[in-house]
Amino acid sequence: MADKYLIEPDVGFIKELQGLGGDTLKKCFQCATCSVACPISPDTRPFPRKEMIAASWGLKDRLVGNGDIWLCHNCGDCTTLCPRGAKPGDVLGAIRSYAVTEYATPKIVGKIVNDPKMLPVLLLIPTMIFIVLGLITGLLNFNPGGEEIVHSNFFSTWLVDLVMVPTAAWAVAVFALGLKRFLDDIHQNALLEGKTDKEKIDAVEFVRALGRVIPTILKHKKFSECGENQARATSHMMVFYSFAGLFIVTNIFFVVLYVFQIHGPYQQINPVKWLANISGIALVIGSALMIKDRLAKTDEVSAYKDWYLLFVVFGVGLSGMLTEMSRLAGAAGLSYTIYFIHLVLVFNLFAFLPFSKLAHLVYRTVAMTYAEYAGRK
Amino acid sequence: MDKKYGVYICTGCGIGDSLDIKALCDVADEEGYPVKDHPFLCGKEGLEEIKKDIGEGTNSLVIAACSRRVNFDVFSFEGCIADRVNLREQVVWSHPRSEFPALTEEEKEDEENFDRVQMMAEDYLKMGMIRVEKVSLPEPYKLDNFTRNILVIGGGITGISAAIDAAKAGYEVTIVEKESHIGGYAAKVRKQLPMEDPYEDLIPPVIHAKIDELEKYSNITVKTETVVARIAGEPGDFIVTLKKPGEKIEFDVPYPLPDEMKLDEKGDELDTEKQHELYMQYNEGKLDILQFDPNGEKFGAVILAAGWQPYAPEDGEFAHLGFGEFPDVVTNDQFEEIAAKGKITRPSDGKAVNSVAFIQSPDKGDDDKDFSYAGAVTSLVSLKQAKYVCEDYDDAKAYIFYQHMRTPGLSENFYKSLQQEPGIFLTKGNVVSVSKNGDGLVVEADDTLLGEKIKVKADMVVLATGMVPVTASDPVVNLAYRQGPGFRDIGLFDGYCDSNFICFPYETQRTGIYAAGAVRRSMTMEESVEDAAGAALKAIQCLESVNRGVAVHPRSGDMTFPDFFFQRCTQCKRCTEECPFGALDDDEKGTPKPNPARCRRCGTCMGACPERIIGFADYNIDSIGSMVKAVGVPSEDDYDEPPFRILGLVCENDAYPALDIAGLNKLSYSADVRLIPVRCLGSVNVIWIKDALSQGMDGVFLLGCKHGDDYQCHFVKGSELAEIRVKKIGDALASLALEEERVAQFQVSIDDYDKIPEIINGFVEEVEALGPNPFKGF
Repeated sequence: MADKYLIEPDVGFIKELQGLGGDTLKKCFQCATCSVACPISPDTRPFPRKEMIAASWGLKDRLVGNGDIWLCHNCGDCTTLCPRGAKPGDVLGAIRSYAVTEYATPKIVGKIVNDPKMLPVLLLIPTMIFIVLGLITGLLNFNPGGEEIVHSNFFSTWLVDLVMVPTAAWAVAVFALGLKRFLDDIHQNALLEGKTDKEKIDAVEFVRALGRVIPTILKHKKFSECGENQARATSHMMVFYSFAGLFIVTNIFFVVLYVFQIHGPYQQINPVKWLANISGIALVIGSALMIKDRLAKTDEVSAYKDWYLLFVVFGVGLSGMLTEMSRLAGAAGLSYTIYFIHLVLVFNLFAFLPFSKLAHLVYRTVAMTYAEYAGRK
Repeated sequence: MDKKYGVYICTGCGIGDSLDIKALCDVADEEGYPVKDHPFLCGKEGLEEIKKDIGEGTNSLVIAACSRRVNFDVFSFEGCIADRVNLREQVVWSHPRSEFPALTEEEKEDEENFDRVQMMAEDYLKMGMIRVEKVSLPEPYKLDNFTRNILVIGGGITGISAAIDAAKAGYEVTIVEKESHIGGYAAKVRKQLPMEDPYEDLIPPVIHAKIDELEKYSNITVKTETVVARIAGEPGDFIVTLKKPGEKIEFDVPYPLPDEMKLDEKGDELDTEKQHELYMQYNEGKLDILQFDPNGEKFGAVILAAGWQPYAPEDGEFAHLGFGEFPDVVTNDQFEEIAAKGKITRPSDGKAVNSVAFIQSPDKGDDDKDFSYAGAVTSLVSLKQAKYVCEDYDDAKAYIFYQHMRTPGLSENFYKSLQQEPGIFLTKGNVVSVSKNGDGLVVEADDTLLGEKIKVKADMVVLATGMVPVTASDPVVNLAYRQGPGFRDIGLFDGYCDSNFICFPYETQRTGIYAAGAVRRSMTMEESVEDAAGAALKAIQCLESVNRGVAVHPRSGDMTFPDFFFQRCTQCKRCTEECPFGALDDDEKGTPKPNPARCRRCGTCMGACPERIIGFADYNIDSIGSMVKAVGVPSEDDYDEPPFRILGLVCENDAYPALDIAGLNKLSYSADVRLIPVRCLGSVNVIWIKDALSQGMDGVFLLGCKHGDDYQCHFVKGSELAEIRVKKIGDALASLALEEERVAQFQVSIDDYDKIPEIINGFVEEVEALGPNPFKGF
């Protein structure tokens, strides 16, 4: 067994973090202002002071499998108050980004997702799948015709689900594989750093802890404790709930379609349509606000991973709404084109979810649940 | 000089509102002193008045106005003795009429009533008048031979810089260097710390450019392979014998006889002649200090820039760090030597170095002290050497374990910049051990920033050992002074030579010898260069004071010097031994030989002399003693309840200014005290205290500088000596049936003005509790 006290800095890891937006990590001189300033850090073994020294020493083992990096909501209070400009908020963001790539397999996908040069490839993959599969199965009809604009006449719902259901399953599988390791790692790390007194993870207790954490997440309670970036809670909540709404809509649609054999588009007076419209608008506004915030925050680093996700989320919302609007306006060609783009973006969202920044929705939930379970105060 | 007196009383600044000026004038009148008052004495009209009298022959002036610390230039008259009676700060401002009411016309009828403040003013005026009567106009001490040349000891970066600075100012300079070439340590490093903005990166050594610059000055002489055998004489006329290192010559400096050799078998002190005989035996082959080398070179002032030596650990001193056991554990000095040669390799096998651990503190037990003689420089050097490691190998790692990371001033920029190096890792921590691991080493540390315990693998370990001033083991200057060849060790400076680091940098305890660079404290090269300029300026100040026969510092410009009435000298040697600056050399009989240019005019000798034969033209036993006697001491014959009378002897360096500031802030204190300024508490002769008590004064206090570890005495030991002397008179008081509590000493610093009332009133209350002096009225 390796000597647990032996420290072996990984210079390569430091350089990678610096590339992921943590270029300031070496500036820390361990005054611990960050840990004091952080409104959501626990009182015992608080972050991010210890994460900062571990980062500047290149201690990958202590960071990637550290649940605390996920407890951070990137409020930015630490970054604002840091006397050395070490930007702990950004450094933790960079570590999370590294951790996402680390837990999501195959790693090559993660590399592609985080590489700006590969963006065309990311967009080309679904495009090719849709066209090839659509042409083989005949489910893609470039000449839908008809009086009414019905998107399924152009891009069959069968084709949508033929692609999207396996994609969703793939995302779940990737997560499942990563999570097993993730949970094990954060538990080991908590034991090593004395952050828990629980020897083993008890499944029942863990699920109960999840039950206690979900209301916190739904209410964005941690977010509202933030000082510096409290405004971010609003846009995040809009995006969060719009995704929830759209998830419900999609499920209803799925059930209605396959069980009751009723096709869309729904009437505007349909309550499901209301939910869909409200969610869609919220998604566009919420993600637009996020983009605006990022552009305004010149003191915080915005890495490619941040922009990619915002681009996809905003794109999904906007293309969705435009598809509907152009349909109502009767612009068939335009509507079908936008719908195709919409599906490409949705594919990006699903397929690369475990590799993108959006993976935080899983890791952060698990880490928060673990913290709750471990009795971290 | 025939004295013609004149008393001038200023009534401005509230003096006239508070005091009965007519009564005050009468005091002078009664003594036969012509007296004038003026509402604005320091103004044009007032001065005209004084100058008119001076034109008519008045030459001994008593100016009763404000403190002598203000308007000193205004009330300075060529060829005249002048005393300043401090009516403003010490009488009216510190004793407001709201607290010390004047007598009403009705009260004045009754002779039992008295006005304490008026009494005080009258006493001070009398004291001023007697003083001008007793003192004389000083004449400067001129040397028979005077030379302007400056000797610089040490040819390192400090010595070279000092020589260039002095040469630029037009002085002849000689550098002596014991090595065969100049440059010192500065020429042995691979790179050095930054010397200018932005203070971020290492730079190539600047010493070579300095040497090139030095060579341009024809008024600089460099003598390599040369050391100082002895420096005799005094500033302005030092007679220096130079020699080759290791050579033994008759002008090698003799050492004083160790204390234990001064005693006979019974433990009694041997007589002076016997001691001298033993001293000559002890220094066989060397001539006495009073014998001057006829071939000696003449210098006016000396700059000591002898530098430092790397700390040499004793056997087993750092055994827990593997030093001595593993060849790959080295000191920072040894590491620099390796780095200066080229790519860093392991001393054990010459292999490449992939990781190096730098240890800043030996961490023995609970002690988190750094290595001896370490400081900011050793912290900065660790950062510098860590950078070497990263320079030499791309993927190398340098760990720095520190208890203290000292990067003062703009060197913080250097720290920040080095911190950015991906291969440099810093943590606070206690290094517990260094042990062998395969062909490498493992460093174990507790209480680190990374958690309780950590271990790192290292190919080499570097200990941040300190810079020991060469004066710690060798006097270097080899002064032919009776007190010894080096600087007096007052047990506070760890071998660094300085007198007071904060107040008087460069000034050693030997006038005319100015220290600069690492001999003063561990310094970076940048600091050394700046320090060299300071010491060069001090040396110049010395030359340009000694040539006019005035004191150099801290009493700059003081023309007086101690005068000895040798007929009555008992050769007790107390003055020679107690002089903080080694100004006196006694001969074989013990008769002191004064060297006035070495003297700083503190008067410690005057305070020490039991025969009271030492004095200055304007400050002597009689002048102060007469002032004490001029104080009126009312007894029961005068009043039913006579006021107490307490004398305060006040150091004029810090305590007197503090009193003035107290007055300025209108802080009031007892009106029964009478204060006399003294040059230093060390100059207080106990006879003044005895006189005061025997004339019926109820108590005496001394107010002076702090002493001890963070002493503030301008003359190093004055306030401490005073305390010893005051303690000794306790017995004498007891024999007179006087309580020893009647004499006390208090310490103040210049900013302690707010404590003045508490100190004075507290003492007055204590004396009042003892009751009046039984000798009163005799």
